[in-house]
Amino acid sequence: MRSVPSDAPVAACAFSRDGATVGFGLGDGRVRLFSADIKQPASAIAEPVHTGAVLSLIGDPTADGFVSSGDDGRLLRLALDGGMTEIAHQKGKWIDKLAAHRTTGAVVASVGKMALVIDKAGGLREFGPHQSTVAAVDFSKDGSRIGAAHYDGITVWSIGAVTLPPRRFAWRGSHVALKWSTDGKFIATGTQENDIHVWRIAQATDMRMQGYPAKVKSLSWSADARWLYTSSQPVFTAWPFAGKGPEGKPPLQFGDEGAGLLTVVAAHPTAEYVAGGYDSGELQVGDIKTRRSAVIRMVDGNAITCLAWSPDGTSIAAGTDNGDMLLIDLRR
Amino acid sequence: MAQAQVPVTVLTGYLGAGKTTLLNRILSEQHGKKYAVIVNEFGELGVDNDLVVNADEEVFEMNNGCICCTVRGDLIRIIEGLMKRKDKFDGILVETTGLADPGPVAQTFFTDDDVKARTRLDAIVTVVDAKHFLAQLGQGTEAQEQVAFADVILLNKTDLVSADDLEKVEARIAAINPYARIHKTEKSRIELAAILDKGAFDLKRILEFEPDFLEHGHDHNHEEEVKSLSITSDRPVDPDKFQKWMGALLQIKGPDIFRSKGILAIDGAPKRYVYQGVHMMMDADWGTPWKAGEKRASKLVFIGRDLDGDNLKRGFEDCLK
Repeated sequence: MRSVPSDAPVAACAFSRDGATVGFGLGDGRVRLFSADIKQPASAIAEPVHTGAVLSLIGDPTADGFVSSGDDGRLLRLALDGGMTEIAHQKGKWIDKLAAHRTTGAVVASVGKMALVIDKAGGLREFGPHQSTVAAVDFSKDGSRIGAAHYDGITVWSIGAVTLPPRRFAWRGSHVALKWSTDGKFIATGTQENDIHVWRIAQATDMRMQGYPAKVKSLSWSADARWLYTSSQPVFTAWPFAGKGPEGKPPLQFGDEGAGLLTVVAAHPTAEYVAGGYDSGELQVGDIKTRRSAVIRMVDGNAITCLAWSPDGTSIAAGTDNGDMLLIDLRR
Repeated sequence: MAQAQVPVTVLTGYLGAGKTTLLNRILSEQHGKKYAVIVNEFGELGVDNDLVVNADEEVFEMNNGCICCTVRGDLIRIIEGLMKRKDKFDGILVETTGLADPGPVAQTFFTDDDVKARTRLDAIVTVVDAKHFLAQLGQGTEAQEQVAFADVILLNKTDLVSADDLEKVEARIAAINPYARIHKTEKSRIELAAILDKGAFDLKRILEFEPDFLEHGHDHNHEEEVKSLSITSDRPVDPDKFQKWMGALLQIKGPDIFRSKGILAIDGAPKRYVYQGVHMMMDADWGTPWKAGEKRASKLVFIGRDLDGDNLKRGFEDCLK
């Protein structure tokens, strides 16, 4: 494991599309890019800068760089040579959450009450306004639709050439996280009331899962869409979506109880593993087949704020709220 | 990382009372402190400052069956975002629109765990326009509610009214909320120490903030629709009965009770029991110990609409040993 300190909280981390570079977005506005090869020296390749705090960072789906957003209202495409291209600038607003679609090369961003979609060629389209600020956004499996979380439910928009009316799925309260399932059938949200809510999109039916001691701000679907992993428990918690779905079933809870509660969970990009970061700084990797877990970083008292798998699933990047930028090569 | 909680001051007041002038002062004066300011109208402030954040006052109802559990989701998001920054703040000021109900802002600080971990509600400061206040009382419920919620009141524009009129305004304010500390100001000119870091919601500082809290009752003016009520007793309180009564009371009357606080002499307990509430949300804890030989007494204060004093007194008396 490599740990590089910084003096600002790490807001987001991501790998580039080719997995060669890892990026960390910091609370002082810097995005620090490093080689994802742990054998290379731990010096930043480039450090493009926002003027406020970085709020989100993802791998650029159209190149081997990154896309970042900040509370300076800017959405930037970052090249590995430190070059920055401004995709959008909305003065006085925060560009908050980002998601990318790998095959279409599109990026979606939440900006106030709007969802902003940037296509591969850089064309911008706005969807909204929603009834309240968009708290989270994600693409459908095929990239033809986006889902936006807000107060009292979610909205699904078709983003193809033909503009179709949006579909609203209602559930009272504030929805703060959103993830579209890897098979495209479900959308899961975390709510302000410590629940998760899941909609079957085609049937427009929904279900509610309760019993969390805190807001579920991190959700992650397994690569095969059989499991929905959720944060905010001391052990890995997975809802079963294979077959008839999770109705009437308890979630599968497995692995060693960690110190504190999981703040971030991230399913492995291809296999049946899941990584989890705790509010105590502990990191674990779980295996849902054997229902066991391994601690890969010990408690240090600083919450894990972000977590990402390399595209080939051999490395994990993570950040902490006291500024540690972590890179873990699981083969070593 | 163990971080100190950042104090949050909520700034309310009717349109044109002088909130923006006050914020401009706070942002431009050389006080060596760093404040983040959350405003509802971008560009109204003359100061160009990247610590000014625009909010949309997005209120939502918690999905927990309680109609008065309304919360500002935008504030939760903004505070979370501000905490990602490298620079830490000495305080956060939240300005509400002139017609806003201060309830949801205050309740946000009782509800959200992340917000509670990083910040603490310090005080509700209401700017009152001395010249127009009496007229505003007749225009709707907002002016009255903003005074009812306040811990600190800036009675502003005192230079624009006669001494007689000012006295009338003060009397009306006292009839609604005699517990708020009033500062008379011109052009919102005030020492920051008078409005910031007051600890009005700090259970440990209830006595410090209002040293005469237990001294005298303030029951006057029964004509006001929004008013305060206090109940005192020197008989010990049965904690189970009190909890039941208060729980049921807030269930039913929560929407009409803007602020409540109290110090209780619990039967057999060595320490004071203190609580603070906004509508149905409440924080409670053990306070300082009773001294040997000290007279143990309890006092409850409610500020709200259509409060039935006799009913409340009877209810509390049933909780006494």
